[in-house]
This record gives sequence, C-alpha cells and structure tokens, in this order.
Amino acid sequence: MGILREEDEMQNSFTEALLKTLRSFYEGGMQFLPNLLAALVIVIAGGLVAWILKAIIRRALVMTRFDRFCANAGVTQALTRADIRASPSTLAGQFVFWLVFIIFLMSGISALRLEVFNRLISEFFLYLPRIFAALFILFIGFLIGNFLSRAALIAAVNANLSSPRVISGLVKFLIAILAFAMALEQLQIARNIVIAAFAIAFGAIMLGLAIAFGLGGRDVARQVLEQKFLEKEIGEPDEFSHI
Amino acid sequence: MVSEPLLREEVQQQIKQINGADIVVGIPSFNNARTIGHVVRAVKAGFAKYFPEQRAILVNSDGGSSDGTPEIVRNTAINDYRTLLTAHPLHTVHKIITPYHGIPGKGSALRTVFKIAAELGAKACAVVDSDLRSITPEWVDLLISPVFKEGFDFVAPLYHRHKYDGTITNSIVYPLTRALYGKRVRQPIGGDFGFSGRLAEHYLTHDVWYTDVARFGIDIWMTTTAITGGFKICQSFLGAKIHDAKDPSVDLSAMLTQVVSSVFSLMETYHDHWVKIGGSSPVPLFGFEYAVGLEPIRVNVERMINSFQTGLRDLSPIWEQILAEETFEGIKRLGGIDRGDFRYPADLWVRTVYDFAVAFHKVVINRHHLLKSLTPLYLARTASFVLETPEASAEEVDRILENLCREFEALKPYLIQRWES
Repeated sequence: MGILREEDEMQNSFTEALLKTLRSFYEGGMQFLPNLLAALVIVIAGGLVAWILKAIIRRALVMTRFDRFCANAGVTQALTRADIRASPSTLAGQFVFWLVFIIFLMSGISALRLEVFNRLISEFFLYLPRIFAALFILFIGFLIGNFLSRAALIAAVNANLSSPRVISGLVKFLIAILAFAMALEQLQIARNIVIAAFAIAFGAIMLGLAIAFGLGGRDVARQVLEQKFLEKEIGEPDEFSHI
Repeated sequence: MVSEPLLREEVQQQIKQINGADIVVGIPSFNNARTIGHVVRAVKAGFAKYFPEQRAILVNSDGGSSDGTPEIVRNTAINDYRTLLTAHPLHTVHKIITPYHGIPGKGSALRTVFKIAAELGAKACAVVDSDLRSITPEWVDLLISPVFKEGFDFVAPLYHRHKYDGTITNSIVYPLTRALYGKRVRQPIGGDFGFSGRLAEHYLTHDVWYTDVARFGIDIWMTTTAITGGFKICQSFLGAKIHDAKDPSVDLSAMLTQVVSSVFSLMETYHDHWVKIGGSSPVPLFGFEYAVGLEPIRVNVERMINSFQTGLRDLSPIWEQILAEETFEGIKRLGGIDRGDFRYPADLWVRTVYDFAVAFHKVVINRHHLLKSLTPLYLARTASFVLETPEASAEEVDRILENLCREFEALKPYLIQRWES
C-alpha cells in the first residue's frame, strides 16, 4: 500500500510539474504571441512603407534629373566601371528601401522584447547616424574628387603640361584618401590607427612626390618649370591678339 | 535691404549744376594712368573739332585706381586748340570723375555712365576704352555723329586689324552673333561704342548689374541688347586699334571662357528672338575705310597643334559628353592629319561651336569646365586658319571669313534642333 501511495504521489507530482511547465510555456507563449504578431505586423508594414518610399524617391529623382546630375558628376561612369548597370536613381531607391526595411526589421525584433536582442538593437540605432555620415562623406568626397580632378586635367592640358592625366589622377587619389580616412574616423573604426595611418600615408605620398620630382623626375621637373617660366622668353610667343 | 544710390551725392549735385547735356562720352578706367591722358585729350579735341556748339560732358567712371588715374583725367587739358586747327569750344567741357558703384568690372563702370547720360538727358553718348593708344579726335565724330546727326541708336566700331588679330571674334563671336541675331556687326565686342540716350535708358532697365555682364560681358551684351531691342544699328570705321599691353597673367583660356560664356549666356536670354531669325543683313557703315599692308607676324602653329593633340589625348572623354557623335568622330579624325596639311573644316568648326552652346545650355557638365575644354579646339581651328592663309591678302581672308559666316547661318537649323531636343 505504502509503495502504491508513493508511486501515486510521484505520478501526481510529475504530472503537476509537467502541467506547470506546460502552463508556464503556454502562458509564456500567450505572452510572446502578441509580441510576435506585433513584430510580424511591423516587418510587413515596414516592407510596404519601404516599397512606397522607394517608388516615391525614384520618381522624385527621375523628375529632378538626378541621373543626369550623376552622369555629369562622373558617378554613373564610376558605377559602370564597377560593373553596376542600374541607374543612380534606381540605386538610391534600393538604398532607401533597404534602409527603411532594416529599421522596421530592427523595430520588429525589438517588439519581441527579447533581452538579448534589445541591447544590440539600441546599439545599432545609436550607430546608424555614423553610418549615414560616413556614406555622406564618401559621396561628397567622390563628387569633389571628380570635380577637382577634371578641373586639374583641363587646366594642365591648357597649360601645355606634359602629364595632365597624372596630375588629375593624383588630385583624385589624394581627395579619395582624405574622404576615406574621414569616413573611417566617423565610423570609429580603429580611430587612432586610421588617423596615424592617414598622416603617415599622406606624408609619405608628399615626400615620395618631392623625391620623385626632385631626383627621379628631374628632367620632367625641369621641363615643367621651363615651360612655366622660361618658354615665354626663350620660345616664340605669338604676335597676334586673340581678342 | 536698402540699396546704395548708383550716383554719389557730389555727382548728383554736379549733374544739377550742369543742367543737361547733348553729348556724353564715358571712359571706364582702372589703373590706366599711362594711357588715359591721351584718351582724354583725344575726346576733348573731338568735342572741340566736331561738336563745338554742343554741350559735351566727359565722364570718367573709375574702379578705384591706385595709380592716380582720376587725377590725370582731372588735370588733363588742351591748352592751345589752334594746334588742332580748331577753335576753342563754345561751352566748357565738364568732367565728371567718379568711382563707380557695384561689383568690379567694366559693366559696372558703364552702368554709371548710362545713368549720368540719362540724368543729363544726353542725345548721343559714346564709351571708349582707357587703354587706347590709337584713339584720335575723329573717333568721337565717328561714334557720336551717326547717332546725333543720322538718328541711329547704336554704333559698333569697325577696326582695321591684322588678318590674324581678333581670332576669337573672327572664329566665334562675329559669325555666331551674325547667325543668331541676323545683323552683320563685325566687331560685336569691340569695346568702343556710340549709342543714343534712349538706348542708355533702355540698358538701365535691365537687371544684369550683378552678373557676369557687369564683370566682363558688357560689350557683347550692349551689342546684343541693341539688336534684340530693335534699335537702329550701324558701324563706324575707326582705323587701327592699338591698346596698352594686356595683363600677361590673363591667359588665353580664361579670356576665351569669359567671351564665350557671355555669348552663350545671351543665347539663353534671347532664345525666343534668335530662334525665329534666318540669314543675316548688313548694317550701314560710316567712315572712310582703307586697307593697309599685311606685314608677316610670328604665329606658333606647332604649339597650337600640340595643344590640340594633348587635348585629343586627354580631354576626349569630356568632349565626348559635350559633342554630338558625328562632330566628335570628325575631331578624332583631325588627330591623324599630318601637321603641314592640318585643316579644321569650317562645317566641323561650326558644329563644334553649336554643340558647345547646346551643352552649355543643357549643363551637360560643369559650365566652367565645359568652356575651358574648348581651348584646344579653338587653337586647332586657329592653327588651321593660319595654315590655310599664309599668303592670303585681306580680301581673301575676308572671303574665307564670309564663307565661315555662311556656314554658321546654314547650320543654324542644326543648332535649333539640338537646342530643343
């Protein structure tokens, strides 16, 4: 009898534990389900909003002739060189889509109220402005680099310098380095290393140029300086007025 | 914002005291102490000789010279008019010497002259550059009389120049202006003009005084505005134009950019006017025209062609954006021609200019870059012209220029089609 009672008690306590666990799981599930539904709704809504914004942005950019602006600024050519065939307005639309969608996705995950994700998500949102700033710096750097390198190219051709493309490429390269260093600094990726590396690289380029120009490119330097300062005296200037 | 009055208080007082004038001659200046004395003497002698009975005023509109230019204008006088074989003028020739208001440039200086002429109710006006070495009293007669006596509103200058001088005018500004606006004004950017008081008032009604017109584009603006405004236009043959040596720091590319941007900007302003015009008509010419010998001068064709070849090698991606495909192909073919036989055909040159005008209008690339990239092509065309005319007489050169102008007129539909596409 005693053994039977013990068995009954064990069975009851197991059942109770099982039921308790199941109840607890059910209650947890019932508590989690609204969060999950909320997350799903947020993600689906996010996809919809992102898609609408993408369409609006694309239409607005097409209407404001953004593609032509990018072609003029050399952005389209750079994309083509990188084998990206989509138009800049399409790319901008895609960018907006994914940006908005990821923000909604993060909000959806946050709605699940899972402790482990919450900290990561808040860090992501805190970091987001830096990503934007870095992208903006790179874009502006790209535009300035293209503009100034083209200006340098035309000026060098008009001044009859011997290597206009080298001068133009150098201008573009220096601005790209500057923009890249600024973007990395903004992203706080190995901040000290980036600043030190930039200073070293920039200094090295300048020193290298000075040495190359002074020693290796002595003849070129002489030619350039002669063209600049002596040609008017030793050459034969035109005797007519253009205007 | 309260705007500063265009004329200073003392100038307004002076205008009240003078109380009206028949003729106003303006001399814009900036650090022209070396030459302005001669210009002032020529103008005063011109007043005495050709307009002794009229009330004539000389206006010096100065850009803040630091070399004593205004003092020279103030102190320059003709002591003995008999040496000029003329009598002392009946009226005192008043001088108004004033710094101009506005952004630095010849346009701002002339705006002040227009304003003074309008305030004085002048019938005829003229403006002459302050760096002229070849101005004579006859210039005053030739620029003023067509307005004062013949009822014209605008007198453009016609200079005698060497066949290679004024290549920007000859290869771009004259043929393009003629094709666009239908008037054969040979020196649209001559710099020395005559105009009526009515036209001076018309100029003042335009709101261009804080644009490039005020800085460097006033000459072509005056000509174009007079033509498009329906004013009576003529030309006067002034003889040779010799002026003080230009500032060597102003390079060809900058000069070309300034001139061409002025013409292209006006094309946008007056599009509705020029798009309706076909062909061109001559304008009356005053003065005694003569030809002189063409002494050989030094022209470095080799350097011009080198500049073009460098441009073709390095600027092709830019030209490809600016030019129509057919034009670009034509220019690429020029790169393969032997230097001795180098020719830039007239029709290709016209298409080049028109393509640049369209690209400027549509802002295909940054406008400053666009205009600067024209320099090697302009030099190629100039080299071609020099190679084509080594032994040519003035008449032959005129004929070649006339053919170029006709090409500009013939291809105008091409410009319109591309402009509006």
